[in-house]
Order: sequence, then C-alpha cells, then structure tokens
Amino acid sequence: MVKFRYTKMAYKDPDDMVFGHAIYPVFCKNWNIQFGAGYVVPEVKVAPRPGMGDSLEKLKAEHERITKDACDRAAAIGIPFFMIEQEHVYQQTNNPKWAGEITALQAGIIEEYVSKYGIKAALRQTVGDIRVAEKPGGLRASLGSDYDARIAETVEECCKNGASDICMETMGGKEVLDYGCMRQDIRAILFGIGYLGSIDMEYVWTRNVEICGHYATNPGGETNCSGANTLMFVAGGLTAHDFPHTVAMMGRAIAAGRTLVAYECGAVGPHKDCAYEGPILKAISGRPGAQEGKQAVCAHGDVMGNTIAAVCDVWSNESVEYHSEFGGTTPAVWLQATAMEAALMNTAIQTGQAKVLRDLYTLTDRYRDPQGYCLSYDNAWRIGNALVEYGKDIYLRARAAALEAGKIMKEAHEKREVVLTRFELDSLERAMAELEAMTTETPRWVEKCVADYKRKVPNFKPENYGL
Amino acid sequence: MVLPSIKNTDFIFRRFNVELEGPAIPVEDTPEVKGAVPTAEPFKTLALAVVKGDTDTVISKVKDALKTTKPLDIIEKGLAKGMDAVGALYASGTYFLPNVMVSADAMMAGISECEKALGKTTEKKGKVVCHVAEGDPHDIGKNLVVMFLRAAGYDVVDLGRDVPIETVVDSVKKEKPIWLTGTALMTTTMSNFPKIAEKLKAAGIDIPFGCGGGALSKEWVETFDLGFFGAKAHHAPKLADAILKGMGWKDLRIKYSEVVGEYATGKGW
Repeated sequence: MVKFRYTKMAYKDPDDMVFGHAIYPVFCKNWNIQFGAGYVVPEVKVAPRPGMGDSLEKLKAEHERITKDACDRAAAIGIPFFMIEQEHVYQQTNNPKWAGEITALQAGIIEEYVSKYGIKAALRQTVGDIRVAEKPGGLRASLGSDYDARIAETVEECCKNGASDICMETMGGKEVLDYGCMRQDIRAILFGIGYLGSIDMEYVWTRNVEICGHYATNPGGETNCSGANTLMFVAGGLTAHDFPHTVAMMGRAIAAGRTLVAYECGAVGPHKDCAYEGPILKAISGRPGAQEGKQAVCAHGDVMGNTIAAVCDVWSNESVEYHSEFGGTTPAVWLQATAMEAALMNTAIQTGQAKVLRDLYTLTDRYRDPQGYCLSYDNAWRIGNALVEYGKDIYLRARAAALEAGKIMKEAHEKREVVLTRFELDSLERAMAELEAMTTETPRWVEKCVADYKRKVPNFKPENYGL
Repeated sequence: MVLPSIKNTDFIFRRFNVELEGPAIPVEDTPEVKGAVPTAEPFKTLALAVVKGDTDTVISKVKDALKTTKPLDIIEKGLAKGMDAVGALYASGTYFLPNVMVSADAMMAGISECEKALGKTTEKKGKVVCHVAEGDPHDIGKNLVVMFLRAAGYDVVDLGRDVPIETVVDSVKKEKPIWLTGTALMTTTMSNFPKIAEKLKAAGIDIPFGCGGGALSKEWVETFDLGFFGAKAHHAPKLADAILKGMGWKDLRIKYSEVVGEYATGKGW
C-alpha cells in the first residue's frame, strides 16, 4: 500500500533545484556515501556479453571483470566516490541464488577498494522485471506467477549479500502502452503508464520496501524504462518519422505520476534514469535522483543530453556491453566519462557557481527539441505542480501532467522558442483535445478503458492489476 | 528565475526537421497518393479510407462494395492500393509510424469483411514465424514486424515473447515458414539466437533467420549461420518478398540495403 500521496511540491521555487543537492539526501549505509548531499555521484552500468549467462561461473567471472575494471579506473584517476549499478540479466533475476552470489562478489571487490583507498562507493542492484503479462500467473505471485515469486527472492538475496540500493524498472501496463505507442493513442498511453503502471508499481514497491527494511539496503526507486523510454526511443532524432516528440514528452510527464509511486510506498532514492522523468520527480519529492544524458550515447541517441544534467544527483551512463575500447574496457571508460562530468559539476558547487553551470546545461538543449524544453528544470517544476494538484488520484494526476506538458510545448511554439513541425503540432493538439475530452470521473474512465483495451490488446489481462 | 538569452542558437543546434519541412498539402493531393490510388470507384474511396486509417469507413464502404464487386478485387484494386500509398508516404517522411499502424488496422478490417464474404481466408504470399527471445519481454519491435508482414499479405505465426528455444525450433519444423524472425533487447537473451540457428541447421533447415532489436548488431548476427541483421521493422515486407523470390541468408547479408531500398546501418537510434 502507498503510505501517502504527493499533494504538495517539495520545492516551492524551481530556482532552488540544482545538481548535487536534494531536500532529502539519502545516506547509504555500507560504504559511507550520500546522495543529494552537496555533491554529484558518478555511476557506471555495464551489461555482460552474450553467452555469459550460460552458467553461474561465466556470469560471475564477467561481473568480477566489470567491477574490478571500474574500481581500478576509479583509483587510477582519483575518483573520490562512485556507484556501480548492475542491471540484472534475465538469468540473474531468474536464479535468485545466482543474484545473491554475484552481489556478494561485487560487494567484496568494492569493499577491498573502499578499505585500500578510502573511496566512497555504492552498489546498486537493479532487479530485472522478468514477469510476462500473458504467461500463467501473469504479473503476480498470488495468481501463480513463478517469475514474480523469483523477483521477490532475488530482491532479498541482493539485500542479504551487500547491495546498497535496490531498484527496478517494472513493466506494468506495457502491453497497453505498446498498443498506444504504435497507434499514437494518448488514452492507451495514459491508461498503460499512468493507471496500470501505477497500480503495478504499488504492488511491487510495497514488497520491495518491506524486504529492504530488513537489511542495510535502501529501496531506491524506478524509472519508466518500459514506457516513457520506449516512447523516446521510438521517437528518435529530429529527422526520424516514427513517433512525434511532443506526444513522447506527454508520455514522460504521465510517467512521472507512475514512477512517483515508489516513493509513496516508502522508497527513498536515488531513482533511476532512462525515462528522463527525473527532474519532475525531484521537483515534487525533493528526493535525489540519477540522470543519464550525453554519456548515455553508448546505448541510445538523445536530444537533451546536457539539459537533463541540470538537477541530477547521480550522473550515469546507460547500459553498455562489456568489451574493450582503445582506452580500456567499457566499465573503466564509461566510469571515467561520467566521473569527469560529475567532477565539473562538483567544481561548480565548490566554487559557488552551480546555478551558472545548471543554466548553461539547461540552455544547451532547451530549444533543440520540445522534450528538452519541457524537461528544463523550471518547466519540469510546472509539470510537477500540475500533477500534485490531483495527487490523490493516479489517473487525474497523470492526465494533468500530460496536459501541462502540452500547454508548455504550445506556449514554446507560439513564442517561437521551439517551433514545431506540422506533424508535431497536429499530434500535440489532437492529444490535448483527447485528454481534455476525457471524463474526470475516474471509475467511469477506468471501466471504459478496461472494456476497450481488453478487446484491442490480447495480452492485457485486467486481473494482473486487480481490476 | 531568468535564464540568460542566447544570441544565436545556430551555433548550438539547428532544427533540421522544421527547416526542411515542405508545404502543407492535403494527403490525397500528394504525389505518393496520386501515384498509387486508382481513379475508378469504388476502389478510390476504399483506398483513400485506408490511407486515412479510417476503419469505420473502410468497413462500411467494403460492405457497400461487396454488393457489386468481387471480394478479391476489393482487396487487390482498392485496399492494397491504399496501403501501397501509405508505404510511399512513410518512405517519403510524410507519414509517421502510427499513421501506418492505423491504416494497416483499417485495411485488415476491410480484408476481414471480404473474407467473410468469400467464406475463407485469402491466399497468403508465404508464411513467416516471428518470436522474441526467451527471457525477453520487449516485443514492440516484433509486433511491428508482424503488422508490416500481415499488411503485406503474409501469413504470420506470432509466437509472442519470452519464447523457449525448443518452441521456436518445433514451430519452424511444423509450420515450414520461408523466414524466421527473432528480436531481443538484451545482450544475454540474444544469445539464444545462435542456439536456435544451430538446431535448425542440425535438422537440415536452411531458412533465413532475421534477427533485430536494441542489443543486436549486424556484426554479431553474422557470427552464426542463417542469421542476417534486420535494421528496421518496416523493411520486413521487402525482405520477405526477396526471400520468396529465392534470396538466401548469405545474399541478404550483402544486399540488404539494395533489397529494402534505403541505407541501413548496423544499428538504430
């Protein structure tokens, strides 16, 4: 169950938001690191190579390389603090004992470096959401899902074996979101991410918080990888013609309502990054968050790689396969890349110029694309403020966030700050009209959505969401 | 809070999509539609309803047309021509992916009405088996491939997501498709693909195995026999047509861009 709902903004003024500082910093119990406590922490995440999941031995050896290579580079270039994030591969979450052994291995390596160099460090374990909506048991162990039961065991194994922080990227609502993404159906996007996603988040995060509470592990939080990141990925660059950037941005605003649920269940941060809803989350919650941007090019293109750094507390790459570059292996190279960026931010903090750098980051991509415009910290704050007005209702708050994002983009177009193409503008206006026409009576809206998408989306099973 | 103003954003970025946008033309007046849509009725009305993705109109106009016109003519001279125009609009950048999806939905609804009148399903060009790797729940790419293939007249056996190796191999043995597709977003799930290829080869099956998705690269897919890299979902019909004409996986690796008619990098966005 959620413990509360956000109905007020933690930040009363967007100008108070800046990288490295959060209203509610998080202390990490095992290796003396803090998040949002006056410095930006660099993060690196590296995925095992194909075939490494064939056996526990192979997977352990790969994680040993990943962890040691990152720690070695931290020592070699004098990185004072960093976080390693391990996004689980399927085999890891699906075999809880494997997850436990690998976590213990990684924690042991980090411990050596912490002892030897006095580095501050953290080990984030991001447990994979291996559930499949249409398989027997669907999304819930109580319905018979073995996958879901194994997720819970894996979370516990990671906590037990030294994870500082547990995160996930849950998939609730994805089946409906995908339908909406492929047909530019804003109602399906709202229902998939904003409503079904929020219900599933509450289910998963109530449990995660409870498990973490028995150990020295923080329940971190989420990002809407399967939803808003999918929209951003499909939308692509300026010259792509797969999905309008304006509607992708509305999806990200909707995702803020959904991702917030982890905090409402008791997660403390730092949340994850790939859906880019972080500035909105921080404005509402005051909790520290990870962001990825220009150093995520190893995984995906991006039209806001600087803007998104403006209010981060953890600065990350995006998952990259383990391999050699000329400058070292990927854990070493990408930790160095994120650490040097974090060093710039921390220099700005230590010289009293954090807000200057924040605004330069913001301006770099603010007018490049409507998504960057909306995620600039002042506009992200506006979206958050619209969301909390309806904070108690997961449908109405997500709808309000999408409408506010739409309003911001229309204003930008009218002021000629971000001129939209006809397709982007038409798509935006159509989506706004559809949102405005939707009933504000939540039960009626839900009933209609359930009936419609049950018919249109074969994999959508209302029982997965208790509907 | 006041952000500094930028003297000249041209030194920071340029919005090429806005700069290169052509004049606003109603879709029925575009060269893509004029070149593909027939002038005779009822085919013109049917094709335009598909172009506009108007499912309700397609269904009602197909029902009207069935009173005077053969179902197969409705499909081939009307609905399919509309879809040809949609493909051209997508290729020229006028249409976006969701436009294609709603048009495909409209066309499939129209075909379904025709099939009811025929009392049987229409003949398909060929069969394709599609799946997402075991352990991988990311199926949006596979769903797009399925949609593009069905809209182009192929019979698709959609195995869904998180599909075990044996299920894929058994399905290929049973269905005897011209082509197998596999998609994966994760590095560790894509390692199922060479195992599938190996089992198919051991069974004496030598069909192209098109593999795509976020984690994959052309370089990696070409490390195992049968595999060729699929760069974009909308390439699927042209690839299927080429396979139907006898092109094998070795040639597809080399002639991919030629077959799909556009430059295709090893990786997407």
